[in-house]
Amino acid sequence: MKILIADDSRVMRQIVVRTLRQAGFGDHDLIEAADGKEAYEKTLEEKPDLVISDWNMPHMTGIEVLRQLRAAGNNVKFGFVTSESTPEMKDAADGAGSAFFIVKPFTAERFDEVFAPILG
Amino acid sequence: MSVEVEVDQSDLAEMVEQVWESYLDPEGVSPLVQTYDEDQPSEVHSSVSITGSWTGHVLYASSLAAARRAAAAFLAMELEEVSEEDVSDTLGELANIVGGQVKAMLPPGAQLSLPQVVLAPEASARFPNTQRISGVYGLWEGEPVSISMWQSSSDNKEEGA
Repeated sequence: MKILIADDSRVMRQIVVRTLRQAGFGDHDLIEAADGKEAYEKTLEEKPDLVISDWNMPHMTGIEVLRQLRAAGNNVKFGFVTSESTPEMKDAADGAGSAFFIVKPFTAERFDEVFAPILG
Repeated sequence: MSVEVEVDQSDLAEMVEQVWESYLDPEGVSPLVQTYDEDQPSEVHSSVSITGSWTGHVLYASSLAAARRAAAAFLAMELEEVSEEDVSDTLGELANIVGGQVKAMLPPGAQLSLPQVVLAPEASARFPNTQRISGVYGLWEGEPVSISMWQSSSDNKEEGA
C-alpha cells in the first residue's frame, strides 16, 4: 500500500515514518508532502491508499485538504496526527470523513492500534 | 471573569513525561530527572504563543548537547550527524508538541502560534508583561532541560475588566 505523510515539520514527518516502521508498517510505500497544498495535489496524482496528515499546515490546513478531496469525489482513507486536539477539531474531522485522530506525542503501540485494521 | 489556568505543574510534568516516553526515551532508560531548579542554565530555546481563552507562552530550553541528543533521537540519526538545522527543527517541534498539549487542556477558543526557535540561552528571551506560572526543570543524561509556562498579565486585565 502507498501511504502519504503530510506535515510541514520535517522532524515530525521523520518521526511518523520511524513510528510506522517500529509498528511494523515500514514495508509500505511511504511518500511525503510538506504542506497542505502539496498533500492535496499528491493525493490526486499519486493515489495513496492512506493519508496521514497534520492539522496545521501552510497553504491549506489538513481539514481543508480532506474537505477538498471529498468535494472532488476522492474517498481515500484520511486521518490526522496532530499536536492539537479539541472536541471541536475531532467533530470537524469526523464530519469531514476522517478515519482516525492521533494526538502527539504518540507511540508505536498507538500506531499499531489505529493502522493495523486499515493496513492489515 | 478571571482566567483560571487549568494546567498546573503536575499536568506539565505529565506532558513532558509523555514526550520522553514517546520520542526521547522510548526504552525508559534515560528519563528527565527533575531538579526543581528554575534557574538552571540553557544554551538554546524554543517557544510557542497561545492566545485566546488563555494568553501566554510555552517555552522549551536546554543545553546545546541536550538539543543535539533530542534531534538525534527524533531523526533517528547519530549524534555526530546532527546539523544546526536538525537542532532548530527539533526544538521547534518540541515547543509545538508541548504547546499543543497545553492548549488541549485550556478552555475552548485558544490559538497556538507557529514555534519560534532561538539558538541562544532562555535568559535572552523577553516576553513583556508575563510571569512564569509553572515549569518542569530537570537533567537529561546530565544535561539541563526545562519546560515552562509564562502567562501574560494583560490577559488577566482584559478578562478581569
